[in-house]
Amino acid sequence: MNKSIPNAIERVLLDEETITARVRELAAQISADYAGLDDLVLVGVLKGAFIFMADLARRLTVAHHVDFIALSSYNRDAVSTGAVRLIMDTRTSVTGRNVLVVEDILDTGHTLDYLVRTFRARNPASLRTCVLISKPERRQVKVPIDYLGFEIPNEWVVGYGLDYADRFRTLPYIGVLKREVYE
Amino acid sequence: MGLLDDVAKVLISEETLQARTAELGQAVNEIYDDTDRPLLVCVLKGAFMFLADLTRHLEMRHEVDFMEVSSYGAGTRSSGVVRILLDLERNIQGRHVLIVEDIVDSGRTLDYITRNLQTRGPASMRVCTLLSKPSRREIEVPLDMVGFEVPDEFVVGYGLDFAEEYRNLPFIGVLKEEVYQSGE
Repeated sequence: MNKSIPNAIERVLLDEETITARVRELAAQISADYAGLDDLVLVGVLKGAFIFMADLARRLTVAHHVDFIALSSYNRDAVSTGAVRLIMDTRTSVTGRNVLVVEDILDTGHTLDYLVRTFRARNPASLRTCVLISKPERRQVKVPIDYLGFEIPNEWVVGYGLDYADRFRTLPYIGVLKREVYE
Repeated sequence: MGLLDDVAKVLISEETLQARTAELGQAVNEIYDDTDRPLLVCVLKGAFMFLADLTRHLEMRHEVDFMEVSSYGAGTRSSGVVRILLDLERNIQGRHVLIVEDIVDSGRTLDYITRNLQTRGPASMRVCTLLSKPSRREIEVPLDMVGFEVPDEFVVGYGLDFAEEYRNLPFIGVLKEEVYQSGE
């Protein structure tokens, strides 16, 4: 792939090969852990998780369903509670099923914490989280991560689903955005 | 893997899919440039895997957005009218829209979505579909880019499902008849 690197990108943090290899490892681990279990449903959080979901799902060797949810935040005041507006819920019920929430990035943790609490209230058979990127320095609330792709420093990253104002989301690698772009 | 036992044959291999998706990406690159800033509209759930691979090949500035629709039921099928469960986040007025579909079958749903989006005043609208089953077409819908024309067989994989199964197969396969005839 000869896709040129946009000027707004300071450097490539995780290249395509590194991400592909790690996603395969995660898929192998998840496949082993859920072997013999029925009714696995992967719930991806739009828009960011769609690329990770596409690559993870096709490497799983266990039968599973794929579902998506879409969220929007209320406003800045709601950040501290993590309350988000569910603008599209899962297509099917998660009650009694093995739920794996698939997220592109874990930052403060508020959104994922809210999702975990929301799904737990629906009495799934089990509930785990799979996160591609975690920024531990940014964490404000503790959220359990069962499967983690990469821990990264507190920099503004884009690509592989991650955006800046909807830009750079589909870069096949994860890059660090230049400071002057967002400041 | 039990799912593979239900597949009668591989219709389009992973390598062939990837090569064709790259070609479609190049075709999209020919049409749009940075100033067009096209909005790729993905109709969930089927097209998410194709979208993920297609966008890897795009060189111009673009954005992605999602729609999810569901059928109202048998009575509305001939009109193609579907219920919009998730609408686009973006206003498409004045935007160049590229609808990304996994498969065009009867064409009715796509026709309705196209008409629905057209009322919003996009600058242009095109359709890129991975698969097309021309023998099933009931209404003419213009397709600007088609990955593969496929015969009227029950295809699954690469986003396409049967009762939510098989969506994650990395290739397009034909489902065994006894699987979808079992009347579960």
